[in-house]
Amino acid sequence: MYKIKHFFQQSWLLIVTSFAFGLLIAVANARWSDEIEWNKTEKLNRLSGALLPEARLELYAEVEIELDKGKKREVKLREAVSRAGDRVGWTFEAAGSGFQDKIELVIALDKDLKTIVGYKVLSCNETPGFGDQIKDPYLREQFEDAPIGKFKPVKRGEGDPEKIDSEIVTITGATVSSEAVVNIFNAYVEKVKGKIEELVQKQKEQISDDKEG
Amino acid sequence: MTKKGETKAGLYKETLLAGLWRENPVFRLLLGMCPTLAVTAAVKPAFTMGCCVIFVLFCSNIVVSLMRNLLKPHLRILMFTLTIATFVTIADLYLKAFVPDMSETLGPYVPLIIVNCIIICRAEACASKNGLAVSIIDAVGMGIGFTLTLCLLAGVRELLATGAVCEIAILPLLKEDGWFVPWAAMSMPVGAFITLGLMLGLVNLLSKSKS
Repeated sequence: MYKIKHFFQQSWLLIVTSFAFGLLIAVANARWSDEIEWNKTEKLNRLSGALLPEARLELYAEVEIELDKGKKREVKLREAVSRAGDRVGWTFEAAGSGFQDKIELVIALDKDLKTIVGYKVLSCNETPGFGDQIKDPYLREQFEDAPIGKFKPVKRGEGDPEKIDSEIVTITGATVSSEAVVNIFNAYVEKVKGKIEELVQKQKEQISDDKEG
Repeated sequence: MTKKGETKAGLYKETLLAGLWRENPVFRLLLGMCPTLAVTAAVKPAFTMGCCVIFVLFCSNIVVSLMRNLLKPHLRILMFTLTIATFVTIADLYLKAFVPDMSETLGPYVPLIIVNCIIICRAEACASKNGLAVSIIDAVGMGIGFTLTLCLLAGVRELLATGAVCEIAILPLLKEDGWFVPWAAMSMPVGAFITLGLMLGLVNLLSKSKS
């Protein structure tokens, strides 16, 4: 009993202020979350547009994919449609742990789900000048037109960054961040491809059923 | 005005001016070096960082001063950190909501204000020992002193790195038929160290000649 009383005597101010400050942050977050979300969507559209220029993005489906270690994550699949109404590609958001914090990417796939169109960094808090080089063309261009599949990170000198294949040459000074990008691709791309194929197949069957009906 | 009033006014004035020169956080106390070196490649991010520090310093000094008599000595640093972290989170959310591009430019340096020594130093050295008025004036003085220093450093670096300040061309560039060749190194970390070193030397020189 004395221990509990002593604990509260010592720490009541800390407990009270923790609740008060938590409430303050919650109020600020609730007040500004719409603006933050809007900015994020606007950035997502801008980056997706840069990956698939002259295409309009439409939300195709929200699917749940199972990542490694049984983790599940909701993924918004966006279909890129040309002015003529033809499908030109797919985009989705993917995230994984970086060196310091979570890295969020927007990844674009081609319309036939055979190759990767590219990626852009949606958010990352990697060390400026080191880890944040994952935004630079050196790493991004190694993924462009690479066949969909598992990627393998290799150190400089062990692979050719100019060659488009499944080997990704990591950035010197940003090895962990480069590997994090590769891990995100490995965790998401094949599973997202499988989901898209499943959905497209279902859509085709539904259309043929409607025609027969 | 009474003598007591005069003394108080003098104290307020001295507290305000201390942050600007005598106890300038960057040039004299050498505190907050991380943002000083990291976000001073251009004036706009430096100014934004300065404004964030003013906001956090102002709010945390008020809170710490108000609860100074309730603080347990062994828990005080924990309380300071909790207070500072709250206001830094609010500043970070505000930037993300209304200045998203700047928030991205500043990146992790806004959350890192939590560990900025200036704020915890002022909470410990001033707000936890003084009343509300002195704490507020100290926060304003120190915050303005920090912001001005950051902007000065950023101004020199941006000018030498690009020939412009806040996108206003000042030095005619060689590629535009002028004479100035931009010093790329000034926008890199090495430029921050050199500029800060030279400025610290200059400040020391000025102080010596004054004394």
